[in-house]
Parts: sequence; structure tokens; C-alpha cells
Amino acid sequence: MGNLCHFARFDLKPAFRIDLDDLGVRYRKRAREVHPDRFADAGEREKRQVLEESAALNDAYQVLRSAPMRARYLLSLRDGELPLEVTVQDPDFLIQQMQWREELEELQDSADLPALAAFKQRLKAAQERLNDDFELCWQDSARHAEAVRLMRRMQFLEKLNHEVRDLEERLDD
Amino acid sequence: MAYSEKVIDHYENPRNVGKLDAEDPDVGTGMVGAPACGDVMRLQIKVNEQGIIEDAKFKTYGCGSAIASSSLATEWMKGKTLDEAETIKNTQLAEELALPPVKIHCSVLAEDAIKAAVRDYKQKKGLV
Repeated sequence: MGNLCHFARFDLKPAFRIDLDDLGVRYRKRAREVHPDRFADAGEREKRQVLEESAALNDAYQVLRSAPMRARYLLSLRDGELPLEVTVQDPDFLIQQMQWREELEELQDSADLPALAAFKQRLKAAQERLNDDFELCWQDSARHAEAVRLMRRMQFLEKLNHEVRDLEERLDD
Repeated sequence: MAYSEKVIDHYENPRNVGKLDAEDPDVGTGMVGAPACGDVMRLQIKVNEQGIIEDAKFKTYGCGSAIASSSLATEWMKGKTLDEAETIKNTQLAEELALPPVKIHCSVLAEDAIKAAVRDYKQKKGLV
């Protein structure tokens, strides 16, 4: 079971577009089935297997529920492992990222909540556009480089999204 | 995680933060990013007629180690020729800043930014 594909763990076929609610339902059902508490009276070997199964299930869920991680996983399944940490040189995108971070810094100073909400909307729209673009090209091996570039952009935007949420929490306090 | 004193010094008093005119023919700009951390780094150099880097500026959005690595990189590049600047290695930056293993990639990003800035300058001048 250890080498089972992340999608197969949830009886899903590899796909970028997935229903996250449905994934959550499948995850909770499987998680109950392999919950260590249910194997309290089992033998040591079985207990260990269940623990491994449970850990693998959590890993798979963490990867599949995040668009950039799911994208990286799909490309890795087909083309081999893609490193998590690389240096990207994608000038126009990076210039835009720098501008967005400057804006976020200003929002932090001004504590302007409506403006922060608008920023968040813009970020979400950009993430959706990236997801749409990725969906159109990832299965075409001739467009591998483009798919990787889009996946890297998704990683940046997800990180930015975390920072937006952190800032929201700080401003809420 | 505890930062070294040198990282904290560069983080609190970053050297050479700012921007040079990217359209200036004597300026080379390197834009690099680390997607998993979300770090974005801009490193720029201004080269004089003798081929010496007379000014260097950076702007980095990222963790303390990434900011310190790029700050130190600009310090080291000033006064050097392009060829000398290109020999700056991430391992030297990491050693000087006493970066822990999990932060080595921040120094790699800074080295890549140096190379990107030098390459941009050389392309502008038709040297490559």
C-alpha cells in the first residue's frame, strides 16, 4: 500500500480539477477506517501498518487539497520528481509579485480592511486564472515547460495567500 | 529558529536597499524567486566605464536569511569587476552569515540573482 498513488488512495483518477468537498468526505471516511484507536487490540505488525497507512493518507490529503501541490504531484507522476525548492526566473511575473508585496506592506501599515478584502479578491481571481491555464496545458507533454512555470506561479500565489490571511488575523486582533 | 548575529544585523540594517533605473544601459537587473517560500529578490548593479560595479541595490521580500543574503551580496559586489562578482558563491554567503542547512537555499537564491544581474548587463552591452 505504501506506494499507492495519492489519487488511488481516495479511489480517484489523477486529475487537476477535483471536487474538494468530495475529497474531504473521502478523506474522513478513510481516516476513520485506519484510525489507530480502532486497532488498539491488534498485533504489533498490524498496528505499525495501520500507522503507516494513516500517515500516508494524511500526506496524500495534504498534497491533493492544495492546487500547487496537486499540480506538482501530477507533473511528477508523468515526468519524474520536480524539486520543491528551485530558483525561478520569470521576470514579468516576479515584477508583479514584487508590486503585490509592496501593496500588502502598505495595507499592513494602513490597516485598511476593505482594501485588504479587495486585494484578497484580486489574488483569488489570479489563482483561478492560473488554475484554468494549468488545466488546459498540463496533460500535453509538448507544453511541459509552460505547465511547470504555471505550477511555480501557483506556489508563489499560495504563499502570498497565506501572508494575506496572517495579516487579516493580525488586523483582527 | 534562531538567526545568527550577522543575519540579524543585515536584517535590521540592510545595506543597499533600493532601486536603480532598469532602463539605464549601465544597469543590470536580476529578478529571481523561490516559489515554495514565496521569496522574491531583485538585485541590480551599475557598472562604470572601467567595468567596475560602482553601485548595487536590492529589494527582497522573504525571510531574514534571504534578506541578509542579498544585502551581503550587494556589499560584496561593489567595487568588483563583473568577472569577480560572478565568482561569489552561495557557500561563501552562507558561511559568512552562518546560515543553517534549511536556509542554504536563500544563499543560492542570492547567487542566482547576482548571475542574473550580470547576465542582464552583459546582454544589454552585447557581450554575450
